[in-house]
Amino acid sequence: MTTTTPAVDLSTAVRAFPSVTAVDGVDLRIERGETVALLGRNGAGKSTTLSLLLGLDEPDAGTVRLFGERPELAVRAGRVGAMLQDGRPIPRVTVRELVTFVGRTYPRPMPVAEALALAGLSEFADRRVDRLSGGQVQRVRFALALAGNPGLIVLDEPTAALDVEARHAFWKAMRGYARRGNTVLFSTHYLEEADANADRIVVIDHGRIVADGTGDDLKRRAGGTLVSFDLAGQDSGWLTSLPGVTAVEIRGERASLRSEDSDATVVALAGRGAVRALRVQPASLEDAFLALTTPDLELVR
Amino acid sequence: MTADLVKPRPHSALLDYLRLEVRRTLRDTGFVVFGIGMPVLMYLLFTNLGASGEDAGAWKTSAMVGMAAYGALGAALGTGTAVADDRAHGWLRQLRVTPLTPRQVVTGRALSGSVTVLPAIAAVLTAGALINGVRMDAWQWVALVLLLWLGALPFTLLGLGNGYRLSTQTTGVVNMICNMGLAVIGGLWFPSELFPGWLRTVSDYTPAHSFADLGWSTAEGAAPGATTVLVLCGWLLLFGAYAASSYRRSARTV
Repeated sequence: MTTTTPAVDLSTAVRAFPSVTAVDGVDLRIERGETVALLGRNGAGKSTTLSLLLGLDEPDAGTVRLFGERPELAVRAGRVGAMLQDGRPIPRVTVRELVTFVGRTYPRPMPVAEALALAGLSEFADRRVDRLSGGQVQRVRFALALAGNPGLIVLDEPTAALDVEARHAFWKAMRGYARRGNTVLFSTHYLEEADANADRIVVIDHGRIVADGTGDDLKRRAGGTLVSFDLAGQDSGWLTSLPGVTAVEIRGERASLRSEDSDATVVALAGRGAVRALRVQPASLEDAFLALTTPDLELVR
Repeated sequence: MTADLVKPRPHSALLDYLRLEVRRTLRDTGFVVFGIGMPVLMYLLFTNLGASGEDAGAWKTSAMVGMAAYGALGAALGTGTAVADDRAHGWLRQLRVTPLTPRQVVTGRALSGSVTVLPAIAAVLTAGALINGVRMDAWQWVALVLLLWLGALPFTLLGLGNGYRLSTQTTGVVNMICNMGLAVIGGLWFPSELFPGWLRTVSDYTPAHSFADLGWSTAEGAAPGATTVLVLCGWLLLFGAYAASSYRRSARTV
């Protein structure tokens, strides 16, 4: 029984605020050992979902269970570690002091040296937290999430505001922790990060889960192939009526067609002589994401 | 080594938290300069400039108690300012996703506040004994430290009430006003005997006056008066309720 209890189990969870229903009936089950990315735009409901499953907030309807227990109990039992958004470590403590303290609140923490090594902090162990760079601080926050050796860690936009190198180091550390058989759930709005670091991507939009699968699943779901070519002054009105085409986007002189039957589309284009700089490529994850989610009007630039 | 580290230590969590917070407070230069140095400096200035004659000895003793109380008051309120800062850092939220219970977090903070009042008390009393030559029986010194330490609890709660309710900046300002206001009207800086009659009556019922009065009676070799103790207990209850209500309010948003 215990071995089959999922690490995370949200069932039709709803959390509504006066102005917006941030989480609108989310069903999410994460098995032990999975690494899952919660992908969505800003304001899609990622943070609220994570708050619900950490017990920081209560759902208005539905249930939330971690390892079969209410979130508060799972947290109390030391089965969960978290890196929250916008948190900064408190000043006037060293990295080692802070990681040691948080680790010792858990029943079975990992040795401090190991937590520091995993987070890439060994050389900064005795430095004061308030004298670290942004990337180092982020690693401290990660070390705090794993110090207690919990079975599940929840990371809310862990790489926001990190440079490329720091980001790379961070994901390496995260995968190291996941490889030990732990469950990791992280939220992000970076597609590449989700694709590169998670076994499974859950796309959330307007508080609902709109897709759930591997990166490849999502790409397939987005509808096949992208055909693009230079318009070279041609009118573009006729493109939507081409065989196979489901969507048309014009960017400057370049037309991009999403097609369910690229062969038919290309033949039809050739028939009209519209083949300048023709390119046929599989839909990217970004295309998939854009197809799955609807932008908020205010967010459209 | 590993075996030692993986052993569950549920009961040390509160102590660990207390140790962490006390360490952080003592590393705060502002706290050391203004919280400990300032009361000592003010005590030495007030008692050694101008004051001479027969009353000088008594003034050195009562000012010592007043300034020790003032130092303790500042340190106790300072805990609340630190809590507001913790909230702003998202630290209280981070603690909520550790196995620490909210009760442990609040208790740890109240205890750390209680511990950090001790350096100020000790510094002023030491200055009194070593520099100003204040002489009392050994039991009086012990009782003085103990009563000033315990009596500072209502102010820790007042500070926490502000810290859990207000923003960092506002908490800093409000606690500063509370500190100065309560100290002056409570007669910690200048004896309330110098106040006009009506103000003196008011002063008798203020928390800081009752607090310092625990020490003044001890210095005179007497037990604190029933009114003093009652008034202080009243403030303890009031500030305790305020802290509890602020905490409950913040728990929803932290």
